[in-house]
Amino acid sequence: MDKTLQTAGSREALLEIRGLHAEYDTDDAVVHALNGFDLTLQRGEKLGLVGETGAGKTTMALSILRLLPPRVGKITQGSITYDGIDILSASPKEMLALRGARISMIFQDPMTSLNPVTTVGDQVLEVLKLHFPEMSREERDARVDEIMKMVGIPPSRKGEYPHQFSGGMKQRIVIAMALVSEPELLLADEPTTALDVTIQAQILELMKQLKEKLNSAMVLITHDLGVVAEFCDTVAIVYAGEVIEQGSVEDVYARKDNHPYTTGLFNCIPDLYTTADRLEPIPGFMADPTDLPQGCSFAPRCPHCTQRCLQEKPSMYLRGNHGVKCHRFSGKEVK
Amino acid sequence: MAVPLIETRHLKKYFKTPAGLLHAVDDVSFKIQPGETLGVVGESGCGKSTLGRTVLRLLEATEGEVLYKGENILRYSKRDMKKVHLNMQMIFQDPFTSLNPRLSISSIIAEPIKVCGTLKDKGDIQKKVHELMEVCGLPERYVNTYPHELDGGRRQRVGLARALAVDPEFIVCDEPVSALDVSVQAQILNLLMDLQDSKGLSYLFITHDLCVVRHISTNIMVMYMGKVVEYAPKDELFQHQAHPYTKALLSAIPTTDLSRRGRERRALTGEVANPIDPAPGCRFAPRCPYAAERCKQPQELKQVAPGHYAACAMCQP
Amino acid sequence: MRKKKKSPVKTVSGRSVWGMVWFRFRKNKLAMAGLFLLLFMMAAILAAPLYVPYDQVVKQNIVEKFTAPCAQHWFGTDQFGRDLFARIVYGGRISLFMGLGVVAISFVVGCALGGAAGYFGGRVDSVIMRFVDMFMAIPAMLLSMAVVAALGTGVDKLLVALSISQIPRFTRVVRSSIMTLRSQEFVEAAKCCGTSSARIIMKHILPNGMGPVIVSATLTLGQVILSIASLGFLGIGVSSPTPEWGTILSENKIHIRYHPYLGLIPGVCIALAVMAVNFIGDGLRDALDPRTKN
Repeated sequence: MDKTLQTAGSREALLEIRGLHAEYDTDDAVVHALNGFDLTLQRGEKLGLVGETGAGKTTMALSILRLLPPRVGKITQGSITYDGIDILSASPKEMLALRGARISMIFQDPMTSLNPVTTVGDQVLEVLKLHFPEMSREERDARVDEIMKMVGIPPSRKGEYPHQFSGGMKQRIVIAMALVSEPELLLADEPTTALDVTIQAQILELMKQLKEKLNSAMVLITHDLGVVAEFCDTVAIVYAGEVIEQGSVEDVYARKDNHPYTTGLFNCIPDLYTTADRLEPIPGFMADPTDLPQGCSFAPRCPHCTQRCLQEKPSMYLRGNHGVKCHRFSGKEVK
Repeated sequence: MAVPLIETRHLKKYFKTPAGLLHAVDDVSFKIQPGETLGVVGESGCGKSTLGRTVLRLLEATEGEVLYKGENILRYSKRDMKKVHLNMQMIFQDPFTSLNPRLSISSIIAEPIKVCGTLKDKGDIQKKVHELMEVCGLPERYVNTYPHELDGGRRQRVGLARALAVDPEFIVCDEPVSALDVSVQAQILNLLMDLQDSKGLSYLFITHDLCVVRHISTNIMVMYMGKVVEYAPKDELFQHQAHPYTKALLSAIPTTDLSRRGRERRALTGEVANPIDPAPGCRFAPRCPYAAERCKQPQELKQVAPGHYAACAMCQP
Repeated sequence: MRKKKKSPVKTVSGRSVWGMVWFRFRKNKLAMAGLFLLLFMMAAILAAPLYVPYDQVVKQNIVEKFTAPCAQHWFGTDQFGRDLFARIVYGGRISLFMGLGVVAISFVVGCALGGAAGYFGGRVDSVIMRFVDMFMAIPAMLLSMAVVAALGTGVDKLLVALSISQIPRFTRVVRSSIMTLRSQEFVEAAKCCGTSSARIIMKHILPNGMGPVIVSATLTLGQVILSIASLGFLGIGVSSPTPEWGTILSENKIHIRYHPYLGLIPGVCIALAVMAVNFIGDGLRDALDPRTKN
């Protein structure tokens, strides 16, 4: 599996996740949230991580920050290397230095990720105080004003409290908080899901503009293939705790040579520009993370399932930079 | 034309708030023929859910009429309403709060039958429950399970089975698929359409998702801050949007079609306000790129093409 | 990510709802221990005349005063030489049964009032809650005294008086848990098919809001037992020489320093009763909730 990944980029990667296994130990059963998750992210790369509920997207993000719920969630295997730092063996102090300063996270719900009793300006300022204690007061204030302007909030409103802002504005503030320390990596967990479409469009537009200005790498976690198409350079499709397809947006969205699951995902989105009488849902249900199949985890739902799929886990078959974890592509790799 | 199954005339629902009167639904009229689906689209706070609940009298209308087969049900007594409810049901957005966690799947589905008394015999009720579960694609082994043991898609099927328990003709679907994953969403949409074909159901389909609404609707109604801004048969609406809001809504949807990636976006500025004591003019004007002086006049729905209505000063009849 | 439970597709067939509740309850060891303890205490108290004659309760024997627990007097004797064991066993009739009675009455009335206030809201809520507030403003003890003064003394009157003083807190707890539930979609779904308000409250809302109420009920029992004692001490309700756990405790409080068993034994009895009920309450709360794993 490893050799296939190294071909992904010649530059030194910012983030490398190799064979990550994570599980949640609940009272009833062990939930295998990540099962051999591989991901490589270059500096400045905008990656879309697409998957359905329970696919392990959020677990992946929390693992990078080492924020899995203590006692319940744990990483059992694999490695995460961030800019040469081994995250899994980093000390709590090193992690503190990483979180917020070099890696930021944007959460799904802007309503709950802001502190309701502190003004929004102070909340942004707090991040700076924490991570740049050497900065002078004037510098900090100037930086806050700058970032507020950048996300489209008049700095005159920084003395207001979160409840005085609408949902879209709150998400802008959350983005400001995540960006103010100019992180190298931004993890955005469904940043637009809780918003209306017109507001989502505004936020996506804003993120596109910021993408030009700031050179941070980004992992956009979403279930919406459309959002990824609008915003990302590369995409990774996640199913049952594994990346089952990865590649540039152009390769994956060409809708040729996709993983059967990706094809299924594309087919069940009602399309705005064509009318089909019936949608083609993926048959069956999401793989049960407490009881995963032995072979390919998608095999029980796959129209192309063979005997081999039931027994042997497929590895990532690469054609250039487009990789698919499906036995149909074995022997058809192109370097 | 035959008498519509459901019709509303100048339906209004206002809420009293400390800040003033909130015009949640303001003068909405529509007709739904048997076997048809009316899709109601709009962003949060546009009054679409309030509309659905007012039609079913879960909320009492402030003004206007709701006609079921030509009769105004807003004047019905509680007892008469019970009979109407046998024909009008609702399915809900959140599959996690719409089922009583203390009841088993079979009791949840049987509850409307027991309440309405359509079937008395216990065996008959059980038979009906099994029938409904089969129709909604729920394996029989789930009879004695509880909602928390099922995933979102299956729960939504239970909600649908409950709505179908009294054999209604009309179902208000309040965002029934927005909380679901896309692959499950497609399953539920297909199920809804199959049921419509086999049972001749009519739907009032409330959603914020234009893609979904295109898929399932006969006619589409676009709402903005309590007002209907556009009303048209679905293909007409997707080919010739008349109202700037509809256009903006359409262009805001992220698409998987890369060839449209660089398309010109009509990104709207600003956000939806609450329609508290609104001014008489067009409510979209503050966000509208074409807003002019004339937009301060009240805008009525005007026919712009056969069956296609829009409330915009730019649209000439 | 959502922590998915293993979807149990096993069909639990043919078990009634209450059968399932009992099944889950039985699995809870603490709750079963509590249930056995409570049943044992109740049996011992009810069967008292079979093994201790009532006159033991009042028979004074100054010679034997302050006898420490021994074979003849299992729990020792008090300042008048009365057998403490007999007094405890007979006293339980009032303490335990009246305590449970008060909790039961105030629980039921509180659920009804709180349920109506929380569900209907608006004017109904205002009227009920203003009354409740009025009662809450008066200290429970004073309120009970006032009721006893109005109705006259007697065990039944005391029951009423204590219940009235406990109703407000139940009403408050029930109301607040109802209010969070009444706007849930499953309640709207029930309204959709014309379900009556009473059925909605009884079948859909109350069962879901019972958790905090049950906990509050079990904790109330201890308080009620002590209230009975305080009222007895003030000469309202039960008065010496009729035994009752709280009274025994207060009668003997000056001697506790040199004869600690006099305080310890009735105290432990009260504590055991409260604990037993508390365990049962916890177990019941979990057993009634199908989300508890089985």
